[in-house]
Amino acid sequence: MSFDDKIKEHEARRAKAMAMGGEEKLAKRRNAGVLSARDRVKYLLDAGSFRESGLFGTSYIKEMREQTPADGKVCGFGELEGRPLGVVAYDFTVKGSSSSYTNNRKMVHIKDMGAKRGFPVVFLSESTGVRMPDVMGEGMGLTNEGNRFLRGRESPWVSALMGYAFGSAAWHACSSDFNVMRKGSVMAVASPRMVSRALKREVTGEELGGWQVHADHSGFADAVAESDEETLDIVKRFLGYMPSHQNEPPPVRPVPAGSDDDSGKILDLLPESLARVYDVRKVIKAFVDKDSFFEIKARYARSLTTALVRIGGHVVGIVANNPQFKGGVMDADGCCKATSFIVLCDSYNIPLVFLQDQPGFLIGPEAEKHGVIGKVINWMNALLQVTMPRISIILRKSYGRGFINMGAGGIAEEVAAWWSADVSFMDPRSAVTIVHGVEEEDDPERFNTLVEEMRARGGSAYDLASLYGVKEVIDPRETRAYLIDMLKYHRSRLTNGVGQHLLSRWPTSYV
Amino acid sequence: MADVDVKVEITGSVWKIVTKPGDKVEEDDEIMILESMKMEIPVLAPEAGTVKEILVKENDSVVEDQTVAIIEN
Repeated sequence: MSFDDKIKEHEARRAKAMAMGGEEKLAKRRNAGVLSARDRVKYLLDAGSFRESGLFGTSYIKEMREQTPADGKVCGFGELEGRPLGVVAYDFTVKGSSSSYTNNRKMVHIKDMGAKRGFPVVFLSESTGVRMPDVMGEGMGLTNEGNRFLRGRESPWVSALMGYAFGSAAWHACSSDFNVMRKGSVMAVASPRMVSRALKREVTGEELGGWQVHADHSGFADAVAESDEETLDIVKRFLGYMPSHQNEPPPVRPVPAGSDDDSGKILDLLPESLARVYDVRKVIKAFVDKDSFFEIKARYARSLTTALVRIGGHVVGIVANNPQFKGGVMDADGCCKATSFIVLCDSYNIPLVFLQDQPGFLIGPEAEKHGVIGKVINWMNALLQVTMPRISIILRKSYGRGFINMGAGGIAEEVAAWWSADVSFMDPRSAVTIVHGVEEEDDPERFNTLVEEMRARGGSAYDLASLYGVKEVIDPRETRAYLIDMLKYHRSRLTNGVGQHLLSRWPTSYV
Repeated sequence: MADVDVKVEITGSVWKIVTKPGDKVEEDDEIMILESMKMEIPVLAPEAGTVKEILVKENDSVVEDQTVAIIEN
């Protein structure tokens, strides 16, 4: 064969592999406003930076080679804002992007290189699960699971679910550090069809594993998007807060103009009465770098807010009680949310700031059935293994063990209190009833006298400061300046901003 | 048009009802305020719509997950 013929053959083979599952299927997706696997890769990466790996891979079954371009997974390397990235894009137009021998080998290579060479891996996922009937019977002999789902968090993994996600796509979503779910996607162990047959009733995809199931209840959706494009924009934004790998600090960005303007508004957002609630997210936005607030698991366990932000250009993880929801009480789900966020931040060299305004952990039979005690201690186990800087600020009330889980009591390197802080073992009003057996409605005068006596035992910011239990009492409006200073002095200079990653093998799906 | 249940997230008592049937609400608007753990905790609209029915009255005790209002969206 002449070189000319070789060139023609190469071009023809490449064109066939690039054509995915054919124009008819691609047109259907376009009409539904859904991007193809290759369009998703193009949208995600810097223009012209994609270097594909395994374009000519096909099914291991010879008779199936013609019907399996790229074997249903578009894999390779590319750049995002000039930083390297590995990509696994599931091509649903080829056998439902089902998992097979060849496409698993392609995916494993990208994952292995991400961990070995130090770049994030992004899964652009939709899959019907294992390819049937390839793995029926003796096909199971091809299984080579190895350490497929053992995460050491050498580099970040991000999952973007855009369609049906059963099997591989679901497993990778739950083993990723961050998972975005496009509305209309379904993530579950098995498909609605299979589940409906097993349960002998109609189960819809939304009911089984729709975005609300995972954003509101399971916590597996860290963010939700309306379209493929928005899903990919969220992936890009998340990666902007991440280092390429665990041995470097996250990227520093210039501080946007106007970032110092809103600190003075904090007092307008904070009610003077401890009985009144407020949305802590508005307070956070007032003192962090402008437009840098990026909330994670916004719809899950809302009494606790977790967010990546920038302060003075540096990435910081915020764990904040949010009194707007359930009064800021910490329940089992909230504990899991805090723990998984602490693990994320410490694994990727992100300092943690805790903002306290909480009435304690949720009590009662339901809370116990959800295992709240164990979740409280898991949170403590994680918090005690953090090697990145920890700073805790008590905004208003902080009662009981929650005071310690939120970083005070000898855990965080720095603890400050706003002058509005009120700290005790429990709400003084509850303590009066428990200690003296007096209910407010039975004897308001005596009740109020006893509450004042209880308060006089000393739980103000200055009482704590007198014992160096808080190191500084600050005006809420000084929060930004305080944090910029403290983050500067606590930067891990001895290790170039890198922690020890004692939590890097903590389970990813711990929510 | 679909009915959306407004559920409470926490056990407490109804302190103040701040909407009535026919009121239009946006997502996260206050429907009523509970008293729980010595705090005034708002019950927020899960979606935008029109308040169709209020199922409790002030001073009623409510438990977690109880439906206290219905919104039509």
